[in-house]
Amino acid sequence: MKYIFDLNTENCVGCGACSVACMDQNDTDTERGEKPFRVVSTLEQGYRGETRWSYISVACMHCEDAPCIKACPCGCLFKDEETNFTIYDNTNCIGCHSCAMACPFGAPRFNEEGKMVKCDGCNDRVKAGLKPACVKACPFDALKMYSEDEYKQAHPARGIHDIVQQLLRQE
Amino acid sequence: MNELERRIKAKLPGEDTGITVRRSLCDICAPGTHCGLSVYVKDGRVIKVEGVDGYPNNDGHLCVRGASNRQYLYRKGRLKYPMRRTGPRGSGEYERISWEEAYAEISKKLLKIREQYGASSVIWYTGYTKWLRPWLRRIAYSFGSPNYGTESSACAKATMIAWKDICGKVCRGDAKNAGVYMGWGSNAAFNKFTQAKMLRGIRERGGKIVIIDTRVTPTSERFADVFLQIHPGTDGALALCIGNLLIQKGYIDKDYIDKYVHGFDAYERLVREYTPERVSRITGAAPELIERAADVMGQNLPAISYTPSAAIPHHINGYNAMRAIISLMVITGGIDVKGGSLLGDSDGIVAEAIGFPSHEQEFCYGTRPEHLDKRIGEERFPLWAAKTNEMQAGDMLRAILEEDPRPYKALVALGMNQRMFLESDKYPEAYEKLDLIVATDIVKTDICDYADYVLPVCTSLERVNLKGYGNLLTATKAVVEPLYESVNDAEFLCELARRMDLDDNLLKAGYEADLRYFISDLPVTLEELQEAELPLPVKLDTSKPLGYYLEHGFPTPSGKLELYSETIAATGRADLDPLPSYYDAFNTADEEAYPLTLIAGARIANGLHSRMHEVPWARSLRPEPTVDMHQKDADARGIREGDTVEIYTGVGMIRVKAHITAAGLPGDVYMYHGYKEANVNNLIDRNHLDPYSGFAGYRQSRCNVRKAGE
Repeated sequence: MKYIFDLNTENCVGCGACSVACMDQNDTDTERGEKPFRVVSTLEQGYRGETRWSYISVACMHCEDAPCIKACPCGCLFKDEETNFTIYDNTNCIGCHSCAMACPFGAPRFNEEGKMVKCDGCNDRVKAGLKPACVKACPFDALKMYSEDEYKQAHPARGIHDIVQQLLRQE
Repeated sequence: MNELERRIKAKLPGEDTGITVRRSLCDICAPGTHCGLSVYVKDGRVIKVEGVDGYPNNDGHLCVRGASNRQYLYRKGRLKYPMRRTGPRGSGEYERISWEEAYAEISKKLLKIREQYGASSVIWYTGYTKWLRPWLRRIAYSFGSPNYGTESSACAKATMIAWKDICGKVCRGDAKNAGVYMGWGSNAAFNKFTQAKMLRGIRERGGKIVIIDTRVTPTSERFADVFLQIHPGTDGALALCIGNLLIQKGYIDKDYIDKYVHGFDAYERLVREYTPERVSRITGAAPELIERAADVMGQNLPAISYTPSAAIPHHINGYNAMRAIISLMVITGGIDVKGGSLLGDSDGIVAEAIGFPSHEQEFCYGTRPEHLDKRIGEERFPLWAAKTNEMQAGDMLRAILEEDPRPYKALVALGMNQRMFLESDKYPEAYEKLDLIVATDIVKTDICDYADYVLPVCTSLERVNLKGYGNLLTATKAVVEPLYESVNDAEFLCELARRMDLDDNLLKAGYEADLRYFISDLPVTLEELQEAELPLPVKLDTSKPLGYYLEHGFPTPSGKLELYSETIAATGRADLDPLPSYYDAFNTADEEAYPLTLIAGARIANGLHSRMHEVPWARSLRPEPTVDMHQKDADARGIREGDTVEIYTGVGMIRVKAHITAAGLPGDVYMYHGYKEANVNNLIDRNHLDPYSGFAGYRQSRCNVRKAGE
């Protein structure tokens, strides 16, 4: 079954629970400068004399036609046939950062050995019937994971997935 | 990586991975929440946490602080073993001792101080967390001291006593049936996810939402039918004006007022002076918007109000503002009615709002001596004294320094952090006057450099817990052994009672025996509660039926809902008004020298007082102590985003980063509290206290900001 991550921007407040849940799941060592795979931000912008706020939580979007997969010269990145998440095996990673250059969302990171690491959608958890750590934590029902069928039925309002797909097609 | 290695890396529970999931609860924040935790354990260590599906309040989810539980547990600053001071106070020089030595020496010294100076010379204080309070209260009384105190001296207590002053008991809103929700300083959509659900519920069934706040927030933006953005400390004036409009527009319930309300005529005369035009000048909200708020409220009764524990009472006029807010529900006939404010019965902590009889209150008060000396703050803050059974800790610094009403000789401080008090850095002067300071905590805090004994205690994951949620009850086991030589705080107090041989068999029986005593009348055992997958329903509902107090009278001096407080009138204090009158809440600092308003302690999602600042995951979301200020104020001072700036008052200065935002109004600067390197409470005069409740005026004092180095 293919899965889709989506963020309802009407509900997200940028609290950071998803980000910390991600750090807990992936043992992110922030004290050594490691960054979480999922980050939150608050954007505050002037718009026609008013101020507007938007809150977003971003990690790997697990793009349908993922640019990082095409960019990697070593074949480290690939799709999981079951979940459709963009996963990786960095054994052969040469640390060239091509994937990071190709990714519009800043998802790939590099560990102390210089090898690429990124959000794998909690692939093994999902295959075991569990939710991704970030989705499980989200206290405001903003971050969700849908199966393809569920997604079609739910038509999530103000979801980020659709917007991103449109942007990718334009590129 | 083979299959098993992958499963272990993904932290999947199973026999092959050796990972088990055990149930506990998070007690990082207050007992009103205490969400359920699924704790993943491998080889005796916690490797991950998540929320328990189906659990009261959190239903599988966790907030940003709760998600940090693993690092909260294993963080670097954990106190490891008992220590005795060897150098001068403040030197931080300590030696490791055994628990045996600690108990023997502390109990001997406490008994000697009691013999020489009297039991009242010993202060028993607790900060965070709050679950241990029944044991601390109990030992203070068994020992004979009235000076049991808590951080509730700055938390929800002022809100609660304002309710008690008017209704006789604390009320909670019947959100399922209310027509309109008045959120005063409520930003539930950001920092209280359990209540965000409630707001959505009100919305979905067509209820109205009015938000009053000093800042634009996700709650004001997404939920408010009417949003009133006001200057700090002016809620009271606004509430009086809405009261005036409700009367003038005929939205009040005259029959209800005639039958159940005391002091309406005097209240009416007071509010008449608060016209929309005048109150617009005070609050900054447009007169038409104030009228609209009154219309939306008046046309959608019954109304309920929500005031977070601290947003309103953290002003020196906060107590009256709370009364003015509650008065709106009184005059519209909204107390003890369906969809209105319902009177509650329990002040319990372990079994808070439990809905069935436990012996917790008996435990708390069972050994209280009939005659107790005056508590700290009792004379200075008569409302606090009349409506609570603890000392007003905001007066502790003065009381110790001035030996008023008596000299103090010892402080037993559980999870105390002086950074919560105004002029925190003056506390060491008071410590010098004490012969004995015992500090327990999970991690080292400022008082630990001054205490004679520093003792390690554990978190909720390392102990057995008993906890009630409405009519549900649960117990948990320790999911890992207590780290190092830490013990649970209640066990520490029980052992101290044994060593002092206090006349208190329940305390001496120990923590788990006490928990069994709490639930001894209920048809469940501690083991059954621990074994169940989720909290169990316990049906003996003791709450009074709806309308009970309307029929039988309210537990107030007049038996009615008191817009005019007979409790306040009885104090005879000329500076205290029985009516909820409004007064300016600034301190007396020079407005020209300090033209900005400092709001200390405005919440951030990843902070919980000082307790999350040293937890790296939580801290990484806002790594630097940062002040939020408006573009206009920043421009006027040549300050740009990310600059290092100094916030200063006549009392002190702190250096922080600047964040520029239009969320607040020009002139207002917001600074979170509890940072060791930038303690905002050092900027506020220790006497900036509400004369009714004794609460500190954290959220409104004059300051200025400049670029660092100028």
